[in-house]
Amino acid sequence: MTHALIELSDLGFNWPGHPQLLDIPAFRLERGETLFLKGPSGSGKTTLLGLLGGVHKPSQGSIRLLGQELTELSAGARDRFRVDHTGYIFQQFNLLPFLSVRENVELPCHFSNVRAQRARQRHGSVDKAAAALLAHLGLKDKDLLERRADSLSIGQQQRVAAARALIGQPELVIADEPTSALDYDAREAFLQLLFAECRDAGASLLFVSHDQSLAPLFDRNLSLAELNRAATPAEV
Amino acid sequence: MYLFRLAMASLANRRFTATLTAFAIALSVCLLLAVERVRVEARNSFASTISGTDLIVGARSGSVNLLLYSVFRIGNATNNIRWDSFEHFAASPQVKWAIPISLGDSHRGYRVMGTNQSYFEHYQYGRKQNLELASGRAFATDPFEVVLGAEVADALHYKLGDKLVLAHGVAVVSLVKHDDKPFTVVGILKRTGTPVDRTLHISLGGMEAIHIDWHNGVPAQGKGRISADQARNMDLTPQAITAFMLGLNNKISTFALQREINEFRGEPMLAILPGVALQELWSMMGTAEKALFVISLFVVLTGLIGMLTAILTSLNERRREMAILRSVGARPWHIATLLIFEAFALALSGVIAGVGLLYVCIAASRGYLQANYGLDLPMSWPSEYEWTLLAGILAAALLMGSVPAWRAYRQSLADGLSIRL
Repeated sequence: MTHALIELSDLGFNWPGHPQLLDIPAFRLERGETLFLKGPSGSGKTTLLGLLGGVHKPSQGSIRLLGQELTELSAGARDRFRVDHTGYIFQQFNLLPFLSVRENVELPCHFSNVRAQRARQRHGSVDKAAAALLAHLGLKDKDLLERRADSLSIGQQQRVAAARALIGQPELVIADEPTSALDYDAREAFLQLLFAECRDAGASLLFVSHDQSLAPLFDRNLSLAELNRAATPAEV
Repeated sequence: MYLFRLAMASLANRRFTATLTAFAIALSVCLLLAVERVRVEARNSFASTISGTDLIVGARSGSVNLLLYSVFRIGNATNNIRWDSFEHFAASPQVKWAIPISLGDSHRGYRVMGTNQSYFEHYQYGRKQNLELASGRAFATDPFEVVLGAEVADALHYKLGDKLVLAHGVAVVSLVKHDDKPFTVVGILKRTGTPVDRTLHISLGGMEAIHIDWHNGVPAQGKGRISADQARNMDLTPQAITAFMLGLNNKISTFALQREINEFRGEPMLAILPGVALQELWSMMGTAEKALFVISLFVVLTGLIGMLTAILTSLNERRREMAILRSVGARPWHIATLLIFEAFALALSGVIAGVGLLYVCIAASRGYLQANYGLDLPMSWPSEYEWTLLAGILAAALLMGSVPAWRAYRQSLADGLSIRL
């Protein structure tokens, strides 16, 4: 493997009519690596995730995901590339409340053939893949699969979100403060499960949070303020 | 069709608003179709008020006026025509049959029409249907016999053998009654859905008999009075009638005879073709009918705008839903399609419910409309035109759905994966 999973160089971004928000000379995330990225709100964290997801285009510089230069792709191709290779977990309310737990987990497979195919290869069917992932994450109860997603506790919902991010083995899992709604013990337990599943699937984990206490659990930790030359000194 | 399933699930999650929205559309669709059906049916029943008659002849006035009083029992004749003028044309070689009509009296608000046997033989309405008796017989030689239209019999609860008294003039409250010469009900006609139902038919002789001792519009007093029995033995051939209807042997001679009547030297007369006069009359009423239709179109538009509003207001609270969908790989056009589906599903269920509601309404009101307005609303499948209307509504819904779809498209491009509350 010659390419890093994520490779940023000379990345610059500003919203039209606003000063430079991001200026990242270099950043790499290796395959299988778990990285803790500390970023307080307003530090350009959300924008960076948007850039990595291919939702926004940088003003300058390059973003390579698995060796693919995102800036060279069309918006539609970036969308496809994102769902094929990246799973997302957000803070809270990650799930579509009107779908069942199982349907929520299977969502990415409806939008990405690559992930549907990988899920089938590994587990036989998308259904089985969803059930297996949920079981690994501690949601073994079969009845639970068909329950409405919003009938679950927050902790359970976050595990469902993790299963959804991991289904079809994307190379990268991006987690944006997924533990902020959980108490400390639940956080660590959730992280251990997430690590195990990422390891199992061979996925890298980019974990963005302002909660420094979790940092020691990761392979590496970085602060966005250090990485970003455009950050104001107050944030450093 | 995974997107369609998603749209359905999302709608089901907002079932209360969704149901209300669909219900508003259903009501408006039902109204539009009901107006359309009543319109078509009113036009049909209007056009079928009289058929088979080639010419209607009366004293010279306007053609619509003549049609109104001779067929619809509305308004009054300006003048009478002489009996010998009628006999002159009734005997014409082109004429197959002639029906004399004499108007001017009434019974509790219903018009009385003097005529003769040929009325029951030749008068036709609808699809060339002849009048039929529901019970009894047509009036015969005795002048004081009356045949009732179906509605008259129903509304006033008359049965065969009942006696009734006619009133002079056509006002609902009559001051002068022909109470010295009562009539006996000998027949009741079947319902036709035309003004015939609201008419009392007597013979010309009867009409003559009740007026035989009248002079200058007032009844004779004292020994000038003539009793019913005395009248029976007198010559009851009328001096004048109000109008007459003609059926011809050959339709081609219609215009020639019409000209002949209009240029008749004996007295000024007017002959009209019923179809042409009906057209003329309908074109006057057609404006109201069109206005009604346009109004119901606007009601449908209001229903659709309600849907548009409901979807647009939901967009903001659904930004999270959109962002989640984006994060699992939905592209902006997926989001837009989702909203189009949503609009389509709402409109479609509205249309289906609206059509259902229409049939329920028709089933419920059918008897009433038939009895009171002579309108027979069909329970039939939507006509070709109605299908076009329904398709138009769906197309309009799709068009309207494209507004929130476009907004959601822009919104999901701007929001990306970030969830904004």
